[in-house]
Amino acid sequence: MMELLHAPFWIDIENWPISWEIGGTAWFPFLESIHVIAASFVVGSILMVDLRLLGLAATNYAITTLSKELIPWSWGAFIVATITGVGMFITRAASHVVNPAFQWKMFLLLLAGVNMAYFHFRVYSQIQQWDTTVATPTQLKVIGSLSLLTWSGVMLAGRWIGHII
Amino acid sequence: MPEFFTSIGGLIAGSFLQDGALWALRNIPGFPPIIQTVHILGIAVVMGSVVILDLRILGLAVPSQKISEMTTRLMPWLWWALASNFVSGGFFLFARPNRYFNNPVFGWKLSFLIPAILLTLFFYLMSRRQHDYWELNSKRLWAARGIALLSLGLWIMVAMAGRWIAYMEYIYFPA
Repeated sequence: MMELLHAPFWIDIENWPISWEIGGTAWFPFLESIHVIAASFVVGSILMVDLRLLGLAATNYAITTLSKELIPWSWGAFIVATITGVGMFITRAASHVVNPAFQWKMFLLLLAGVNMAYFHFRVYSQIQQWDTTVATPTQLKVIGSLSLLTWSGVMLAGRWIGHII
Repeated sequence: MPEFFTSIGGLIAGSFLQDGALWALRNIPGFPPIIQTVHILGIAVVMGSVVILDLRILGLAVPSQKISEMTTRLMPWLWWALASNFVSGGFFLFARPNRYFNNPVFGWKLSFLIPAILLTLFFYLMSRRQHDYWELNSKRLWAARGIALLSLGLWIMVAMAGRWIAYMEYIYFPA
């Protein structure tokens, strides 16, 4: 694993012409501002669903309706955040892969993804029984809380990357 | 930059506000990235409240939610997020007041933020006066769409300008 993180491959990425182009021009701050807007939109739209799962907000809407109408927006914003994120990553790939804040961010993103997948594939099919009730079972509350925690952690780790590099 | 604006920086510099902010940023472990994250999470709530409402008014998102109901439900979240962002942003502003009040991008940010807040407040107050004010007839609905489009642009530009403040600093205040 450590060898992989120190592989010359990451330096090669930094030397791609596009990496130089982004890193040496106003492209970088431009990509970064789009990244912040897209990422905050991901969290803002997921937050609404999470608070509903916790029974704290939007309780007059069914969980399935909220998910159906909001999660596609979260995905759209996530794709924009990923493209802009990769654009910034390639300018300093070798430093990023060994940056603890970057490693935490990737780990927390993975956790957030596993939590989301668990909700979607394991819980969603039985959701009818609580879909419109204000009070939700512990399982949904745990999923909602984990989502809030992991996404906030992604933001914190993401912001911390710039303080280490 | 207008002189009254840059002079605000001079008023804060050297005051207890600057001392307090600098103390917190220098002595609390991890405070700068933590408080910046609190600021970005506040922006996330701006996205999850007024921006989603704007997208709803423009007919692009959450079709099952009613504009009037969304306004009543989401606006309190926006006010709390803005209050939180004034505090989290305040730490950086007070710590280095001259850098902000001499930075044109900070001026742009305020020139987007103030109209964005006033416009949202206007929309909210009319909706409070009469629950279905913005949906009463097609004229009102078109006015609401115009406001939503402007509001969307303004809030995005606030976040955009916010991110560019730090980049402009390198040009105006090379360390």
